[in-house]
Amino acid sequence: MSDIEIVESLKRDLGARALEIANPDRRRIFLKVAPAELVGAVSLLRDKYDCAYLATVTGLDRGEAFELLYHFASPVACVSVRTEIPRTAPRVASICAVIPGAILYEREIQEMFGIAVEGIPDPRRLNLPDDWPDGQYPLRKDWKHVRPAEVIPGGKS
Amino acid sequence: MSFEIPIGPQHPALKEPISLRMTVDGEVITGVDIRLGYNHRGVEKLAEQKTWIQNIYLTERICGICSHSHATCYVQAVEKLMELLPPRRGLYIRYLVSELERVHSHLLWLGVAGHEAGFDSFFMYTWRDREIVMDLLEMISGNRVHYAINTIGGVRRDIDEGQKAKILEGVATLRKRSEYYFAIGANEPSFVARIAGVGMLSKEQAVSLCAVGPVARASGVARDVRKEDPYAVYDELDFELCTADSCDVLGRVVVRVKELLESYKMIEQMVRNLPDGDIAVKAPRKAKPGEAVSRYEAPRGENIHYVKSSGADKPERLKVRAPTLGNYPATIEMLKKGFIADIPLIFAAIDPCICCAERAVTLVDAANGAESIVRMSELRRRALARAKNAPVKGNAVWPF
Amino acid sequence: MAVLRNLLYLLVYPGILFLFVYSTFCEWYDRKVFARLQNRMGPTHTGKFGLLQPIADFFKLMAKEDIVPEAADKGLFNALPAVGLAVVSTAALLLPVWNFDLGQPGWTSFSGDIIVMLYLLSLPTLILFLAAWSSTSLFSTIGGARVLTMLFGYEVPLFLSVLSPALLADSWRLAEIAAFYQKRPILLLANVLGFLVALVAVQAKLERTPFDIPDAETEIVGGTFTEYSGKKLALFRLTFDIETVVASGLLAAVFLGGFPGGAIVGFLHFVVKTLFVIFLLSCIRAMSSRIRVDQVIALSWKVLAPLALVQLLVSILLKGLLS
Repeated sequence: MSDIEIVESLKRDLGARALEIANPDRRRIFLKVAPAELVGAVSLLRDKYDCAYLATVTGLDRGEAFELLYHFASPVACVSVRTEIPRTAPRVASICAVIPGAILYEREIQEMFGIAVEGIPDPRRLNLPDDWPDGQYPLRKDWKHVRPAEVIPGGKS
Repeated sequence: MSFEIPIGPQHPALKEPISLRMTVDGEVITGVDIRLGYNHRGVEKLAEQKTWIQNIYLTERICGICSHSHATCYVQAVEKLMELLPPRRGLYIRYLVSELERVHSHLLWLGVAGHEAGFDSFFMYTWRDREIVMDLLEMISGNRVHYAINTIGGVRRDIDEGQKAKILEGVATLRKRSEYYFAIGANEPSFVARIAGVGMLSKEQAVSLCAVGPVARASGVARDVRKEDPYAVYDELDFELCTADSCDVLGRVVVRVKELLESYKMIEQMVRNLPDGDIAVKAPRKAKPGEAVSRYEAPRGENIHYVKSSGADKPERLKVRAPTLGNYPATIEMLKKGFIADIPLIFAAIDPCICCAERAVTLVDAANGAESIVRMSELRRRALARAKNAPVKGNAVWPF
Repeated sequence: MAVLRNLLYLLVYPGILFLFVYSTFCEWYDRKVFARLQNRMGPTHTGKFGLLQPIADFFKLMAKEDIVPEAADKGLFNALPAVGLAVVSTAALLLPVWNFDLGQPGWTSFSGDIIVMLYLLSLPTLILFLAAWSSTSLFSTIGGARVLTMLFGYEVPLFLSVLSPALLADSWRLAEIAAFYQKRPILLLANVLGFLVALVAVQAKLERTPFDIPDAETEIVGGTFTEYSGKKLALFRLTFDIETVVASGLLAAVFLGGFPGGAIVGFLHFVVKTLFVIFLLSCIRAMSSRIRVDQVIALSWKVLAPLALVQLLVSILLKGLLS
């Protein structure tokens, strides 16, 4: 299937649910759906387009909204599913039921951007230490790293 | 008797810190938990504050073994954003280094697998031969580990006729030796008994858990970015996609050995057909606004970088997914119902590159004072104070 | 005078001093062979050809800090290394190289000494298990369990294969067994199978690759030795070195025709033959990878034990034929 055929086919299958389909480069397809349609779109991609392989989930901080990109790959194309989540209600549904391998990426999104992934089987932190303060999400643009004052035990700081 | 044994964060089987908590019942593993986060450097956040050029060297330092993979993957994405077409000679040299890196990484892995199985002779011989390819890489790039050969729009160093001859000679030696050792390794019953049927991962599991690279290919999933998404020079090269159906550690060894032989083939093709011309084009300082997804087949599996530009001289966002992270969910499945004795083998069989997989976060984990950061000078002062009180005499004389 | 002689016997030759020197030499030899088979140099630095390296290692360990875990059974933990060393040194005294006089059974050469020797060689394994158990570390405990599991595997083939030549020679005394085969060297060929089985079993007893399962560093850190350090670890290492010498001496005495020719020539026989056995052990070590503990048991009972039984059968039939 060529890129154009995939794009056409996606337009037919998703209809109005596909908010935007772009094909900026060879074998690169960007598809935008609403957060509510995410799981449905992912299952469709998995079942019909052979996109069972999720490469990763990228989080983007766009100021007033977060964007999540689910990069899928089939043997013929790399399909990135984009969804936009308002900053005021950072919540998205888990796709682990459809793609079990998504678990680590969703845990990462959860701790890095503070986007609550609903229905995630294992909500623990992935990379951040256990004593990381709540409400600190390092990959948000407004998060600045403040180096803590050096404390030398038993010495002057 | 059921108890929990900690493998890591510090353990002789691990070359980098990670924590595997195994619940074992006698010698059989019943539960596995992988804890990450011991190796964080905050690369993704840092990349947003560095220029396009600086980021090449930053991404190269994500990993020590597949350093070229990350740099190449990043450079591919940036070239797409900047709409640059690198000259073909530059591309050939870039992917020549890629394949040499794959050879050195796979040889390293084979040695490690031998060591984890207690087969130290295999380890010694494969690592001796790895020196050949390390020397070739040093000859081409000037460095053994961080080659720093990539630049946006091409490569930084050309190769001449003498170097070409040396590469061909080295590859011929390597091929001969590799074939011989692998015949020996495959016929050593204790080694084969140790790795066959261990760490099973069925094809369905490999697909659903999104396994990548040799792990997926050893489970019969024919997934290789070089074939699926033939970037740059790979559609001009003649090579086979290597898979195995045995779904165990033996299969992963077989896949990597086959890939080694394919890599030798590709290296020879690239050296023989090296086109003439420039090696790089000039790159602009800023990239146009846009986004690019770049995929690259690293020695450990698919490496994917997502780069977003806002039109500045710095990336808006750089997302890195190293292959090892993609293989962790599969590893948990592989370890279950295994033996304690198989833990190092199964874990090593994904060729874990822990520092690759953990690049994302910021550098502090001591912000709350639980573990405070200590200055180097303070460490030195404490060490000296300790040495004075230490029981061993400062001026001990060797008895012989 | 007799007291002085006994004291010299215990402390100098063939007692602890000689054993120390010879076993460290054997360790050097083993390391060198192993290294050369792996295309490495092995020890080169300390002494000529690195000959003093094992001794240097020993003294370095002796000087290191000695740590006893809080939770360990202190008495047992401290005493076991010394007991282990004593046991293997006692076993060494029974070798027929220093008590070759057939007509004079003394306190180190008597009827039944081969059995005593085999049991003395089993003791270090049990001591190792106790040491692992008493140190209470998780890794040690697993290592200790593996030590015992392996013991049940290789012990029977070892006994069967070592005792069948004795059966043929119709004696339970090492010196007499050796003398029997020195008179009829052709009969040694009948025991080749037993020699091979015993070689593998001894490799397992000495916990060397492919049987280094109890202290497999990539799996369970230091295994049985995880909590041992300093002097105690040095003593354990020496114990294993001496056990290597004793076990290879036993194999040489039983399967390779013993050590004929009195004190001097016999001693040369001893050196050559033990080094030959250690060479074979090193080759096995270099050419194989570590196997799992269940595979050891399977190997012992499915391959080694039947082969040892065949050897026993051959010995019994031959004996009937000869008499």
